[in-house]
Amino acid sequence: MSLFLAALRLQLRLAPRSPGTLQVWATAPLFTAVFLSIAEHAHRTDLASFSVVAPTLMGQWALTLGIAGEIIAEERNQGTLEAVIATPGRFSVVVVARILAVSLLGVTTMAEAWLVAGLGFGRWIDVPHPVVLAAALLANAAAMAGTASILSSLFVLMPSARIVQNTLTYPLYLLSGVLVPLSALPAWAGAVGRAVFLSWSADLLRAALDGPAVPRPVTRIAVVALLGLSGYLIGALLLSRVLRRVRRLGTLTHT
Amino acid sequence: MYPTAFHLVRYGFLNAVADFKATYTWRSWSFGWLGRMLAQVLFFTGLGRVLDQPGAVRYLALGNALMTCVVDTMAVVATTSGERRAGTLSLLVASPADLMWVFAGRSLHWPLSGFATASAALFGLGPLFGVTWSAAQVAPVLLLIALTALGTYCVGLFLAVLVLNAPRLRNVVSNCAYLAMMAFCGVQVPVEFWPRGVGAAVQAVPLTHTLRALRAVSDGRPAAEVFGPVGAAVLTAGCWLLAAGVTLRWLVAVPARRAGTLDLSY
Repeated sequence: MSLFLAALRLQLRLAPRSPGTLQVWATAPLFTAVFLSIAEHAHRTDLASFSVVAPTLMGQWALTLGIAGEIIAEERNQGTLEAVIATPGRFSVVVVARILAVSLLGVTTMAEAWLVAGLGFGRWIDVPHPVVLAAALLANAAAMAGTASILSSLFVLMPSARIVQNTLTYPLYLLSGVLVPLSALPAWAGAVGRAVFLSWSADLLRAALDGPAVPRPVTRIAVVALLGLSGYLIGALLLSRVLRRVRRLGTLTHT
Repeated sequence: MYPTAFHLVRYGFLNAVADFKATYTWRSWSFGWLGRMLAQVLFFTGLGRVLDQPGAVRYLALGNALMTCVVDTMAVVATTSGERRAGTLSLLVASPADLMWVFAGRSLHWPLSGFATASAALFGLGPLFGVTWSAAQVAPVLLLIALTALGTYCVGLFLAVLVLNAPRLRNVVSNCAYLAMMAFCGVQVPVEFWPRGVGAAVQAVPLTHTLRALRAVSDGRPAAEVFGPVGAAVLTAGCWLLAAGVTLRWLVAVPARRAGTLDLSY
């Protein structure tokens, strides 16, 4: 636990100064303006919550993907990767804690989006279910960290992590109903999307901002957490295999 | 004899081609990048399906399909500042050749990639959302995509020059710039939706005019409604290129040369 907290604290100190974080903070208001303008122009004020949830999840995922691609590459560049691997601490714990720190930081984009909706468009969005909202945001941040840890290990082997990072944005947003609920997609796409934690998170966050009641909140939050945990377990397994392979081949520090 | 502007752009373009080949294979571009961009069009157009507003889906599909070439082209900001990271900026500034023409050719692979992406989006995805084209419309549409890509390239070159001394901000600037264009230039909602000041400001952006021309072509409106915006797009693109050249020479290269502040790394 102390290893987890130390890695979390380290990343929380580093992240606010990184250009990736700055980029997400700078772009979230613009995404909100894009979504809200579409809804307002069509006089669909009931879609305001869509315009707050989508930039939050997109910003968080962009940050998470960014750090997942950078952690190992940066350790390599700084010449610290061997030392980190050589310690008895579990490396997968360090990786997931650092990704979680960034993912948690990404929650701030929801406040930005909410302020843009209120100040820019005069739509002060109510939060009728604050507890569900907070629990869903936390579970989602953890699930993002778990899922992104899978990619972190794959990026060690891939020469073009940047292309993979780019590719895993909009196709995923589309398939997991980040902006438009899965019910608006073809049935096959909806079925695929249900296997992605983001679809559960998006539905929950919209419900926490919208509806008079959130049906089965505990079950739905548990699904998000479980999908995230599966991601973490797969990521940890992959990471240990990848590390074993690069150690055997002597390519740990190769870029 | 110094190389002419044409030669400098050509040499820059050869670099651009090499850079593109080092970044993408045909497979990673087609299935990775193009797939991601088409998903972006579907993502934004998808909101139109839940709006229940006649014409919304078509409007969003057309705007977001053309927008793909803007996203692609704005990568010029990152590759231009990449010269600093590669340690070649100081050498370029020190050389007697006009640096602006080097930069003008250096990232031409992005508008070309953007042209291909937007063509695939408009002709491949467009028909799924009611954006259909007759044979006579194909050439004007292709010309408008090319003009959008080149006009945006000029905007991007100006921004690239601005961030030469702050390369850490390259992605922040390019992303904010294209998102601002996406929000305010008529891609998602008509320009008239926004306050008058915003509407006036976006008249300086080539995309605002090329998109207006594209919608006119798509609706089969009279030629005057196409040529007017095309003229405005060419004019604004020229102004951005000029601004990039002036800024590079007088606000970046000359002061940096005098002060010796162009580091070989960052």
